[in-house]
Amino acid sequence: MRRGRAVRGKPFLHASTAPGSSSNAHFSAGIRLRAAAVGNLILVRRVILSTLRGLSVLAAAVLLVAACGGGDPPAGAPAERTIVFKHSKLFGDPTAFAALIREFEAQHPGVRVRAETLPSASDEQHQFYVINLRGGSADFDVLALDVIWVAEFARAGWIADVGDLLAAEEHGEYFDASLESATWEGRTYAVPWFVDAGLLYYRKDLLARYGFEPPRTWEELERAALAIREHEPALHGFVFQGKQYEGLVCNALEYMWSAGGDVLRDGDVVLDSAANRRALEFLGSLVPRGISPELVTTATEEPSRYIFGSGRAVFMRNWPYAWTLFEQADSPVRGKVGVAPLPHFAGHDSAATLGGWNLGLNRRSRYPDEAAAFIRFMTSPEAQRALAREYGLNPARRRLYADPGLLAAQPHLEELRAVLDAARPRPVTPRYAQLSQVLQSEFSAVLTGLDEPAEALAEAQRETERILARP
Amino acid sequence: MRRAGTYLGVLLVAAYCLAPLAWQLVTSLRPPAELTTLPPLLPTQLTFEHYAAVFAGHPFGRMLLNSFIVAGGATLIALAFGSAAAFALTKMRARGFGLILAIVLATSMFPPIATVSPLYLLINGLGLRDTLAALILTYASFALPLAVWVLTNFLRQLPDELYAAARVDGCTPRQALVRVILPLAGPGLAATGLLVFIVAWNEFLYALTFTATERSRTVPVGIALFPGLHEVPWGEIAAASLIVTLPVFVLVLLFQRRIVEGLTAGAVKG
Amino acid sequence: MSGALRRIGERPAAFLAPAALVLGVVTLFPIVYVLWLSVQHYSLIGDAPAFAGVGNFARLFADARFWNALGNTVYFTLVSVALEVVIGLAFALLLARPFVGRAPMRAVVLLPWAIPTVVAARMWEWMYNGDFGVINYLAGADTNWLGNPYWAIHAAIAMDVWKATPFVALLLLAGRLSIPAELYQAARLDGAGAWRLFRHITWPLLRPLLLIVLIFRTIDAFRVFDAIYVLTGGGPANTTETLSIYAYKVLFQTLEFGYGSALAVAVFVCIAAITAAYVWLLRGSAR
Repeated sequence: MRRGRAVRGKPFLHASTAPGSSSNAHFSAGIRLRAAAVGNLILVRRVILSTLRGLSVLAAAVLLVAACGGGDPPAGAPAERTIVFKHSKLFGDPTAFAALIREFEAQHPGVRVRAETLPSASDEQHQFYVINLRGGSADFDVLALDVIWVAEFARAGWIADVGDLLAAEEHGEYFDASLESATWEGRTYAVPWFVDAGLLYYRKDLLARYGFEPPRTWEELERAALAIREHEPALHGFVFQGKQYEGLVCNALEYMWSAGGDVLRDGDVVLDSAANRRALEFLGSLVPRGISPELVTTATEEPSRYIFGSGRAVFMRNWPYAWTLFEQADSPVRGKVGVAPLPHFAGHDSAATLGGWNLGLNRRSRYPDEAAAFIRFMTSPEAQRALAREYGLNPARRRLYADPGLLAAQPHLEELRAVLDAARPRPVTPRYAQLSQVLQSEFSAVLTGLDEPAEALAEAQRETERILARP
Repeated sequence: MRRAGTYLGVLLVAAYCLAPLAWQLVTSLRPPAELTTLPPLLPTQLTFEHYAAVFAGHPFGRMLLNSFIVAGGATLIALAFGSAAAFALTKMRARGFGLILAIVLATSMFPPIATVSPLYLLINGLGLRDTLAALILTYASFALPLAVWVLTNFLRQLPDELYAAARVDGCTPRQALVRVILPLAGPGLAATGLLVFIVAWNEFLYALTFTATERSRTVPVGIALFPGLHEVPWGEIAAASLIVTLPVFVLVLLFQRRIVEGLTAGAVKG
Repeated sequence: MSGALRRIGERPAAFLAPAALVLGVVTLFPIVYVLWLSVQHYSLIGDAPAFAGVGNFARLFADARFWNALGNTVYFTLVSVALEVVIGLAFALLLARPFVGRAPMRAVVLLPWAIPTVVAARMWEWMYNGDFGVINYLAGADTNWLGNPYWAIHAAIAMDVWKATPFVALLLLAGRLSIPAELYQAARLDGAGAWRLFRHITWPLLRPLLLIVLIFRTIDAFRVFDAIYVLTGGGPANTTETLSIYAYKVLFQTLEFGYGSALAVAVFVCIAAITAAYVWLLRGSAR
């Protein structure tokens, strides 16, 4: 039933007169008919024959690619040592970054630096590092590490102790939370590169129009958001990052900390506490009471930034990167945005989750000294100033926040320094990723109304204790 | 009446398949300021800046070339090895036919995420890390079960007398395969080839893990490199997604008749 | 290479060898490795690896998150495969009719399937956006599709159906076209209507093919990863976390290679069981 319909009238004769078809001549009549039914013989045969010939060429090509693509230049050239720096893409004109690298190369004759970008999604970077480092890769020497990975990578034995690069007298240069994130079991495994912390963005013009001050407590934020929405129902009140992902943990911890709660205290799990319940009850009430739109339950940084940036929200929690974008020439909210530390619950202090990236040194690096020198260079005040100016990366060094040149270009840095001084790292443990998965799910359940805060916290407490008890 | 119904139905099907792509097209032509505002449904002015940015800001041409080499190489290998295997299974009465097919199928039941890490060890051991060869080899192996399956079914419906006659005529088995069987298997090869090509063209997880630099990066991984730490250039991503779809569309258009024929024979026999 | 082959007589092993070699090295080695890992207590950030026996599988049975993921996976697979087959069959029957523009239409139908999954998922995420997504705008709705515990999995299903239906439609179209037209003509002469033609000719002849399509689609849907991972990351509150997503998070985020491999083996066992059931059904219908 399949053969019948394939006849398209290409006579079989063509095939038997084609060169190289001698074997076809012996077909019986019946077979001829069947064979003729398949059609377009000559063309197909030519394609296939040439394909098969092409295959041997391909095989050779594959071997060639494999041979020259095998990785690194031969070891016989000691004069030039290449170190590889893995990092995520810096958004903006790449020339400034390239200039920094050239400067390092000029200062260190015989050392070349190859900067290789990773996909920006932090999960993808983590996956890349894990598989490569587990496989004992020495293909990269310096790694940009999310602050939450340092303890994990150190425990796995993948990154070297870089305590030498951070002299004790230099510690005061860096933010406390940043140093804490780079330290595990008393040793330093990374050098802070740039930092992030949660900030409150608000619309100066709207607050002024309706007679509100920038809110200092969550209750004030709630009152202002609801009151302004009375007048401007098309506006959203407060947008933040509520999708089930790492960003939700960053957001939720800020409520918990600013209510006096925490995740771990002296190694004990303290999730199931009155302070945390108060914090999560507030978080869970944001959407039902109309302070936040339902869309926050899938929002990551960019969707919330777009909404606030097109003038459709009164308040937003986000990282500092958004500020520069709001002040661009074509921004609808240019000049109307203020930043402040995140609100807190009455009687407690404001808290911001520390984000950002540290530089680590691959323990299998073939050129540890050169790699260390590169880390020192990249975390130097000069490099950090350049990265801050060109890419809006917030320096990990505190004194740059008083740098007149930088402040002129980015006045919000002044506000940011106080926030970063009070920022807190997420729990520093090699098992943070496991903790985070539990917290993400429970926080998401509270935010979407699937679970009561008390139950979610009790469950999170149980799960977290179980995780930390594993060998 | 029936004809009108047919055309109405065809229009609906086309709309169903094309609507998300059409929206992607609209997105890719929007000025940045209009990206996240609705209305207007259609952009007030068209811009090609996202397309320009795709090629100016990234080695996108190189990535396209890499994708072509990888998908093409995997397709050729899967076709060559797959047709040889299918030939042995159908015309040479290889023993353990059912068992071999079952094993072949079973290998495709494992979740790919679990085999990334061991496969990395293998690729690294072979010295193929960050090469196109690594991806060609990987994708060819993933596509082989499907290739063997479709081609086995296709070859099975070619009469055994063809092979017998060729042998009587003095052909070696290889000549019989290359000169007699394969020329008749064109539609089967075209269908299989397209299936393999698309699988290889689209793969992301392994490409992400095995590639490190632009010399081996394919388009899906390349697009994942577009965003910065926080910023996501939606317009560029939309433009790139359309560009990457185009080559496959052309291939399907060129080969669509053979694909349907090849699958017709391959599929129904089971 | 050709010289070596010419000397070989009737030895099928030589023809099977290249495929077997590639599959054996590139596919079987990792699978055996994963099987081995699944019986180890092995975490990259824990103590040294130790033999676990069935320890990881015992943990799996007691793991509520595993059962949740299994439930999500089964639901996702059932609904999306059922929809894909129904819609795909409708498409196939429609496209089998004569109309002008069949060639470009076949290419158009394949387009969704030809787009890289990660790219397609980003497109849909963009359209689903609760604030500026085109779906809400056109429907006049105000739903946050991916953030709503009820809608999220269905939104993922809708995307998967869109993407995979072409594959089903293409295979079924091929099958439909292979049914001889004379069968239909004869039946029409006997006065059969459209429904009876479908019921007594199309359906019984397509059934074996349908089962094969079911196997392919089920294997794929049961292993679904990147589509959902891009859309929701498993949220909200793990309501869209499938087994593959769970396994991914355990392997690459928490670095528990032993337990993550056990999860992967569980996926494999489920798919093997479903396929065996299908094959059994296929035998039944073929005879």
